[in-house]
Amino acid sequence: MRLGAALEPYVEFARKAFAREATYRVEVFTNLGSLVLRVYLLRQLWVALCAQNAAPAGIPLHAMITYATVALLMSLVLEIDGTRAIREKVREGTIATDLMKPIVLPFYFFSDGFGQTLFGALLIVPALALALFLVRIDVPSPATLAAFALSFAIGYCVNFFLNFLMNTVAFWTMETFAIQLMIRWASDLLGGQILPLDFFPGVLGKIVENLPFAAIYSTPLRIYIGELPPAAWPAALLSQASWLALFAIVGSVVWRAAERRVVAQGG
Amino acid sequence: MPIIETRDLRKVFRSVKRTPGALGALRTLFTREHVERVAVEGVSMSLEAGELVGYIGPNGAGKSTTIKMMTGILTPTSGEIHVAGLVPHLERRRNARNIGVVFGQRSQLYWDLPLVESFELLRAIYNVPRERYRANLAEFTEILEMGDFMTTPVRQLSLGQRMRGDFAAAMMHDPRIVYLDEPTIGLDVLAKEAIRTFIARVNAERGTTVILTTHDLADVERLCRRIVLIDSGRIIFDGAIDVIKEQYGTHRTLVVELASDEPAFAVDGAELESRVGNVVRLRFDRKLVKAEQLIRRVAERYSVNDVRIEEPDLESIIRRIYVEGYTKPITSSL
Repeated sequence: MRLGAALEPYVEFARKAFAREATYRVEVFTNLGSLVLRVYLLRQLWVALCAQNAAPAGIPLHAMITYATVALLMSLVLEIDGTRAIREKVREGTIATDLMKPIVLPFYFFSDGFGQTLFGALLIVPALALALFLVRIDVPSPATLAAFALSFAIGYCVNFFLNFLMNTVAFWTMETFAIQLMIRWASDLLGGQILPLDFFPGVLGKIVENLPFAAIYSTPLRIYIGELPPAAWPAALLSQASWLALFAIVGSVVWRAAERRVVAQGG
Repeated sequence: MPIIETRDLRKVFRSVKRTPGALGALRTLFTREHVERVAVEGVSMSLEAGELVGYIGPNGAGKSTTIKMMTGILTPTSGEIHVAGLVPHLERRRNARNIGVVFGQRSQLYWDLPLVESFELLRAIYNVPRERYRANLAEFTEILEMGDFMTTPVRQLSLGQRMRGDFAAAMMHDPRIVYLDEPTIGLDVLAKEAIRTFIARVNAERGTTVILTTHDLADVERLCRRIVLIDSGRIIFDGAIDVIKEQYGTHRTLVVELASDEPAFAVDGAELESRVGNVVRLRFDRKLVKAEQLIRRVAERYSVNDVRIEEPDLESIIRRIYVEGYTKPITSSL
């Protein structure tokens, strides 16, 4: 089959997800308001913290504020979980209807999530403008921005597979909420969304930097604030890509097992 | 060559035996006792392209399990199955292009979006050429009278409107086979009729093969010539509706309206079924006594205002078979 025809459903899934999100327009404006407030509060927090210690963990204030603000904006996209629908579909049994369609379901969840992401990304633009105006974050060189974008894209996919894996567990047990919450907290904290990983002391810091969670927030952010020099980019991107490959493989194995389970047991 | 063919199709579900209570839950973690439940036991059937078959049976008889195996989302435990030349569970996505499915109880439409956008999505999913899509959309909109709510979000549609949308959705990619599972459940008389007309038209004009699963036997009586009756996972009848009526519906009811009050009413060869005022219902077997004889006997002894004969409908026949069991499994040709 031609590639265009093969991709057609997934492009349409993303478009429909985007359109669906757009039906809740009011939310966008309330979100924007709370976002600006959060950006401002984060800045105040770091200003206060740095008043005691000029460069905690060796990161100067302006870089710290940049880190916190960009992390917050990234979370707008990374907190969207397109695979949450798996759990609902399994619980309500509608997964059976989806399996009767000539589509690859994981791709469907990815495109649906991507459509939602694109809409979430729309929010980033005004938020970024306001953030620049309000707290003055650093804007790096175009090359750094490009490396950041690539790293962010890989991190986005790692995040997708992490969510995908957690939600696929629903095929075996519906009580995944507690585990999910724990992994979500772990990935926020250990992934560097709340704090740069430099804040973790000694061995702990080394461990945390080598966990897959670091591939989601920490690596792109460290590229952005210039903590990782261009010479260190290839290794950092490669490490992210390895995590992505591993997660993708595990994800597809688990998904296949889940599908087999449905096909053998009838859901 | 038949479009759907199954041979000795069997499905056994295995599940872990659960012991009730907290201790029981702990026990199920360590012991692996399995319970087996046979859902489908040796189903063999064959459908020619363009047939419209009613697949009937009480709840839990194995109807849905059979359909699920035909759609490829369930693997048979043993036996053979071919749908349009494919083995569904081995080639699920290819099989999916040949089939359309309507579930009365759940919708495949996009809840938050206008109806027409669900159709567009299906166009993309099945790669329906735009020309073909436009033609189908126009035709379905007309037959199912969907013009008024085409741009209404699905969540705001009435059940009847939603079902019409679901039918159009199932047919948008010109499937060769459609499986309809309780398609008229909960609908009012008008909506039911609209759906039935649509099914009949699609079957007649497009030659689509239809398998209809329903508890509303009026659907079957109106649409199908052939029914397959399943009970406890086994086919107990496969043949023409006329045949089952002929074999099983030998009872008739003679309804007599008496001109005068007759306290002690009795006629040889018929059983008094009920009596309300002067209206008497007599049940008789037309193999043992002819209606004409019976009427003569009544008229000889009593003065009668009116008589009429009622034939059993499919529903009462099927109800009897569920209760009494079919005497011997038979297969009759059409």
